[in-house]
Amino acid sequence: MPLLQHFCQMLYDSSFGTMIRESDNAFPAIESVHVLSITLVVGTIAVLDMRMLGLVLRGIPVTRVARSVFPLTWTGFAVSFVSGFLLLWAEAAKMYGNPAFRAKLILLMLVGFNPLIFHTTVYRRVQEWEARHVSPWRARAAAVASIMLWSAVIVAGRAIAYF
Amino acid sequence: MWLHGWFMALAHSPLGHAMQRSKWDFAIVEMVHLVALALLGGSVLVIDLRLLGVILKGESARTIGRDLGRVLLCSLLVMVLSGIAMVSEEAGKCYYSPAFRWKMVLLAGAVGFYFTLHRRALLHTDVGAPNMYSRIAAIVSLLLWLGVGVAGRAIGLL
Repeated sequence: MPLLQHFCQMLYDSSFGTMIRESDNAFPAIESVHVLSITLVVGTIAVLDMRMLGLVLRGIPVTRVARSVFPLTWTGFAVSFVSGFLLLWAEAAKMYGNPAFRAKLILLMLVGFNPLIFHTTVYRRVQEWEARHVSPWRARAAAVASIMLWSAVIVAGRAIAYF
Repeated sequence: MWLHGWFMALAHSPLGHAMQRSKWDFAIVEMVHLVALALLGGSVLVIDLRLLGVILKGESARTIGRDLGRVLLCSLLVMVLSGIAMVSEEAGKCYYSPAFRWKMVLLAGAVGFYFTLHRRALLHTDVGAPNMYSRIAAIVSLLLWLGVGVAGRAIGLL
């Protein structure tokens, strides 16, 4: 058995993982937190994305919107990450072979690269365009990529249960 | 009761048959419902955190409410339509489900509140600082919408 699969089986068989998986309330509760946290992660970053696309809040500088939204998005990400990790721990052995779960992990990596590229390139000179109603095309491209990748993460996450 | 008749009609409709027949059609509808949920929740959060004076202080609550209100209402429409499709898959179960009934009550409450007292708070606050009225409106709104979400989760679990 490959090392990673062995590790997943170990997590799955552990008393902690088993406890979460077989509990009446813990798994559903953690899953509910995970699902509702998408409002904090995706919902708030979508507001910034829509601002850069010139769809909402055009009178407010992009930097102001970003400053307001980032703490919310990061908080949501922390909640998603912890709850997601606990869900993974409980179901690790099953997740190993699950194509939807693998797709979700790949999409999560991509969704992390997008802001990395964005912040090290076009956002560096944000002072030049923060007041513009519609942001430069590179920023808009990042915004569209963000919305599409996050939607794909949500879709892949929902698909996990179907495999 | 006549309402039960509507639910049964929905179950026997072409939409109902499509949802009951295909696992993946239902999955797609669920996924749409979730993406719309993210957008709805995000707009509610930003609007209500403005009313609470936590973010975007000094910016016009009226403008924020107008712009993000459009996002809220569009995503709400998508959620209602996808929700109806999902109900058509298991209409009987939903009709008798306490979680579903709670969700509908809370949804009516959230939407009703949104168009009345919440709207008044946004227009009143505008560029000003939050007062007790705007803070209460924000908290009630957040709790109602959160309730809708939790009840929605409970439908699948209970």
